[in-house]
Amino acid sequence: MSASGISFRRVSHTYRPKRGAPLLALDGVSLEVREREFLAILGPSGCGKSTLLYLLGGFLPIEAGEILVAGRPITGPGRDRGIVFQSFALYPWKTVRQNVLYGLEKQRRPRRERERRAQELIELVHLNGFEDSYPAQLSGGMKQRVAIARTLATDPEILLMDEPFGALDAQTRALMHEELLAIMRRAPKTVLFVTHDVREAVALADRVAVMSARPGRIKEIVDIRAPGAGRNAMSESASAALVERLWQLVRGEAMLAQGVRA
Amino acid sequence: MAATAWRYAPLLLLVAAWEAAPRIGLINPAALPPFSLVVHAWWYKLFLPGDLVLHGAASLADLTAGLALSIVVGLALGLAMAWYRPIDLAVSPLIGALYPLPRSALIPVMILWFGLGSGSKVASVFLGCLLPVVLSTYNGARGIDRVLVWSALAAGARRRAVLWEVVLPAAMPEILAGVRNALALSFILLVAAEFLVGRRGLGYLISFLGEGGVYDAMFAGVLTVAAVGFLADRLYLLFMTWMLRWRE
Amino acid sequence: MARMRGIAGAFLRTAPLVAVALLWEAFARAHVVSEFLLPPFSGVVMRLFEDLVSGDLPTGIALTVYRALAGFALAAVFGVAAGILMARVAAMRWLLDPLVSIGLPMPKIAFLPVFILWFGVFDASKILMVAFSAVFPVIVAAAAAAEGVDRALLWSARSLGASRRAILWEIALPAASPQIVTGLQVALPISLIVAVVAEMAMGGEGLGGTIMTEMRFADSPGVFAGIIAIAVVGSLLIKAMELMRRRVLMWQAEAA
Repeated sequence: MSASGISFRRVSHTYRPKRGAPLLALDGVSLEVREREFLAILGPSGCGKSTLLYLLGGFLPIEAGEILVAGRPITGPGRDRGIVFQSFALYPWKTVRQNVLYGLEKQRRPRRERERRAQELIELVHLNGFEDSYPAQLSGGMKQRVAIARTLATDPEILLMDEPFGALDAQTRALMHEELLAIMRRAPKTVLFVTHDVREAVALADRVAVMSARPGRIKEIVDIRAPGAGRNAMSESASAALVERLWQLVRGEAMLAQGVRA
Repeated sequence: MAATAWRYAPLLLLVAAWEAAPRIGLINPAALPPFSLVVHAWWYKLFLPGDLVLHGAASLADLTAGLALSIVVGLALGLAMAWYRPIDLAVSPLIGALYPLPRSALIPVMILWFGLGSGSKVASVFLGCLLPVVLSTYNGARGIDRVLVWSALAAGARRRAVLWEVVLPAAMPEILAGVRNALALSFILLVAAEFLVGRRGLGYLISFLGEGGVYDAMFAGVLTVAAVGFLADRLYLLFMTWMLRWRE
Repeated sequence: MARMRGIAGAFLRTAPLVAVALLWEAFARAHVVSEFLLPPFSGVVMRLFEDLVSGDLPTGIALTVYRALAGFALAAVFGVAAGILMARVAAMRWLLDPLVSIGLPMPKIAFLPVFILWFGVFDASKILMVAFSAVFPVIVAAAAAAEGVDRALLWSARSLGASRRAILWEIALPAASPQIVTGLQVALPISLIVAVVAEMAMGGEGLGGTIMTEMRFADSPGVFAGIIAIAVVGSLLIKAMELMRRRVLMWQAEAA
């Protein structure tokens, strides 16, 4: 097993709300993620795709099945897996620089190196000049760039992204896609990217795992491109065909999730 | 400048009415001495003889001690309850039972336990202010977005570090609001306790003057306590805004 | 607060209270401190029972509740009226805004001797003291609530043909009611606190006055029994207020 490959083996998860009956969110999910591949997990809302990510992150206890990273079962959160949330999860009381520094401080790197690395990352996400701003003073796209810089700063081998661009407008989202791909070219990582946006999945991923409506299962895995292949290499028509195919797969599930018979 | 003057004009109106009403015989001057006499009494009967400083210092010392104690203990207890479930299970029912108790009802027991001196007043303020601090800390710490905790854990922070570096600052807006409530309560409890017991403090001074019929000085004392309470709240608000300057 | 359902939850919730009662009893019986400082819990319960049967306690409760609620009612009526006037009439806002912004944070309790001077030491004085202490949070809440009502609601009512009066009673007040009720929920505990202090300072029985007398006569079981009675009264009143909130605001989606 490679250093940053991931295997989900028959992972199930039951969500227990404070009121009401328990809900089976994930039902025996098995999935292999290759090293340095960009895998998108696509599914209707409520299908448990974020739960899958939180389990891999080590934030929720694994009740059934197991999740291996580099061949070892995970036991809790770890620095090998960085995560970016849809709600940014920035510390509002810290400035941009302090947010980016947080993970580096946890690694106890020498002060000078931390400062240098933080500045590097801030430049990477084009936030020069905003180092001393508080998150409340930034736009949504800028906040998400800070969150990405904070996560990348500690150089995790695996990047978990939970609908990271879901709260952004369409234009900003397109710009963020380009930036993310540029960053990945410079420092390739294993990426698990949760989204409900078919176009986003095709634009970014090497492979797309389509999930079914609750209880979540892997319905199908679609190859988009060879790992590391240029994103521009794909023709318009090939990309449109993939979008159409994924859309057909997701559409039925989305309607099921809404209680409509497909 | 003109806008500010216009804004506070109603206060001037109130003072003018206070001055005029007893002078033109609308109100018995014994029940409400004209404002100018009250100011005169403040200077000659309270400030110059040193009574105001003596009793004011005593009040301030008791209030600060009780409030500081309640903030330290309340913060620790609230965080512990939010972070360790056994403590939550053991303490929550007690707080639930004590919360509806009107805080002032404890003053007699504090007098019973700590006597007529400062101890009973400090204890009254402490116990009265404790629950607002505990509850705001607990609610603030429980209410924080779980992804904040998760991203700290993913960055490699230990649970203890998460408590200090993430939970406490994230709960700070609610904690500071709770402390503001505690500040207001502390004045109520201290002045109430001083009315009831002892020979020190502004509350004692006011009621002593009232019972002695020195009404101009009594009004001066009442206004002083009201003004100190108001100023304390304004200063605290400034502090709060500074602490939460990261909010926009 | 940790919430659990079922019998196990009920047990877990009562266990700490029982533990404190037992510790209290053991502590007192072992004479770690004198009985004067901490009478045994059982003695306090007995005393509570005696006072209940003799009628002293019900009279005291009735007096305190009457004074607290009468003052609270005055504060509610005047506070809501003043708050809505402030939101709707510019002159009222100009007049009241500085007074309220000073009145809200200042310790109203300091005016107790003034109320004694003006209204004596009987019920009227205590009730007015309660009302004066409780009215400011109500005014502030009502003004903010009335101001915060969504304009689209008012406009749609007007375009549907509602009169100004109908808009006030049928649209603005209900829309503002959640925040107003929140203000009342702040005012209720203040009313109780001040009623008890006023009774302690002015006498005239009631739970506060009785406790103070018992304290002076070193009757510590009586003091503790009185405090338990006040705690029960306070919690019942606060519960009643919550029930009222749920009834009045049934339409509001709240995590109840």
